[in-house]
Amino acid sequence: MDKKNGIVIETQGLSKSYKGVEALKPLSLQVPKNSIFGFLGPNGSGKSTTIKLLLDLIHPSGGSATVFGLDTVRKSPEIRTRVGYMAQDQRFYGHMTARETLRFVAGFFYAGPKAEIEKRIDETLELVDLVGKADRPVQGFSGGERQRLGIAQAQVNYPDLLILDEPAAALDPQGRHDVLMIMERLRKHSTIFFSTHILDDVQKVSDTVAILNHGELVALAPIEELLVGSGNVVYLFTTIGDGDGIQTLLSDMSWVTDINRSGVNGRTQWQVIVDDEDAAEAQLLRSVQSGSEVTVTEFGRKKFELEEIFLEIIKESNHGNK
Amino acid sequence: MATNSTFVIVKEQGWRMGFANLLCNENLELWRSHRWIKQAGLWLLAVNGFVVINLFVLPAIILPDENVSSMMDPVSEGIRALFQIGTTALAIGTITMTQGKVIGERETGITAWILSKPVSRPAYFLAKIVAHSLEIIAIMVGIQSVVAYGLISLANGEAFPLLPFLIGVGGMILHTFFYLALTLMLGVLVKTRSQVLGIAMGLFFGGMLLPNLINQLGLVTPWLLPNILPVLALQMQIPFVTAYLPILMTAIWSMVFIIVALWKLPRLEF
Repeated sequence: MDKKNGIVIETQGLSKSYKGVEALKPLSLQVPKNSIFGFLGPNGSGKSTTIKLLLDLIHPSGGSATVFGLDTVRKSPEIRTRVGYMAQDQRFYGHMTARETLRFVAGFFYAGPKAEIEKRIDETLELVDLVGKADRPVQGFSGGERQRLGIAQAQVNYPDLLILDEPAAALDPQGRHDVLMIMERLRKHSTIFFSTHILDDVQKVSDTVAILNHGELVALAPIEELLVGSGNVVYLFTTIGDGDGIQTLLSDMSWVTDINRSGVNGRTQWQVIVDDEDAAEAQLLRSVQSGSEVTVTEFGRKKFELEEIFLEIIKESNHGNK
Repeated sequence: MATNSTFVIVKEQGWRMGFANLLCNENLELWRSHRWIKQAGLWLLAVNGFVVINLFVLPAIILPDENVSSMMDPVSEGIRALFQIGTTALAIGTITMTQGKVIGERETGITAWILSKPVSRPAYFLAKIVAHSLEIIAIMVGIQSVVAYGLISLANGEAFPLLPFLIGVGGMILHTFFYLALTLMLGVLVKTRSQVLGIAMGLFFGGMLLPNLINQLGLVTPWLLPNILPVLALQMQIPFVTAYLPILMTAIWSMVFIIVALWKLPRLEF
């Protein structure tokens, strides 16, 4: 671990090209300790490439990366003693049972005592709800069961860093929920770096989100910051009474860039877009309330769904690339 | 939740990282699944079946014609069956059985999974080589040779000379190991299972023809070993270089294959 600043993963201009095609454009990011870092992007955006670079499964074309402060190319085996990884479409030896698979993986980390290793395996099987299938060959497992075994084997060594590539992709809603709960439970012990294209999952558990598109980092921010929206800030409020005065008042404010209003059952719903957040915070509500003919029943800043943000960012990025 | 402090942590470093666990896993797959029993039975039929036919069946069914019987010394034919047909069969068997051991795992993503653990890339390859070498020595050659030695001694009426027999067995192990190293190396070098199989089989069958066209090739490859080993086991006259240079070169080629694979593996991407 890089003790100076509690950063677990750091990349600096990390890039990967295949025969001149950039799968990952220079990427610089930091993942803080004990965070759940959501790595988001459409299929083929470079998420798995980044993960494989961190694990030295592929070699960088440029830049560098460190995990726990260790260089990912020169110190990869040492790094992997503290990492748990689940691949997208994880495969195992089909003839092994789930228990044998976990025993095999545990064997890379622990030489004994045997009883403690077996206890750890039992705990792990319980964590992912595979106790009932523990002694069945993996080749008979469904996609969801394989996924859960993937998570189990990734965390059987209680890694300091858990890297999960699309951990919930093959799961039904209940399975996805379970996986997210497992991630929440594991965050006490580990930093979790996971890639996904399921926006809902990211919004539920992530602290920080990075969005990749066409191999390029197009957004990187704490989830709360990202959900506020990019660029202009939007306020939503509802009033009762004649709103014409408010319309005139708001139109005169230099930091108001757009006003939309709609009326339902005598109530007027307002959407006001501003470009000066501080001025809006200080003056907007006061100004609206100053209109004597209206009563303000609701007032707040619009919180975006991650999907809206994501689509907007991807759209802007695609537009910029053209 | 127990913490990691309750465990004895694996301390392997460098190329050995993960080797012991991988080797244990490869061996478990063979021995615990009883695959070795099936293997031993199969090779018993394939190798010693021919030995039995040559030692006991053919002499019994061939008419007691003087010319024929002088040509067909059962013990010599038994030795030829073991070291010529057996060696050939073991090579084909080795290629067939191990053609997917590396490339198959690369294709399914199992190699990437394993290499995401604290495992060095050399350890991944060496564990496979060592485990399958043990399989060759113990099951494919060892058991067969012991059985064949007993059968040949029985037909001989007394114990067959052990040292020349062991030289033949050593050559058979080396010949089989050559094709093991070749097949596993190809699994590292090429990208599909069919390429592994095609190249390995191509070299094997090409080796049956090429020394007839270029005599010297027989000296620097294992291709003539199936012909040389029975001669050595029967203690027949053969020039030293003709007998032992191919054996030496087979060992050297096998090492070269391993070195090439170990050089290439860290450069691969998964």
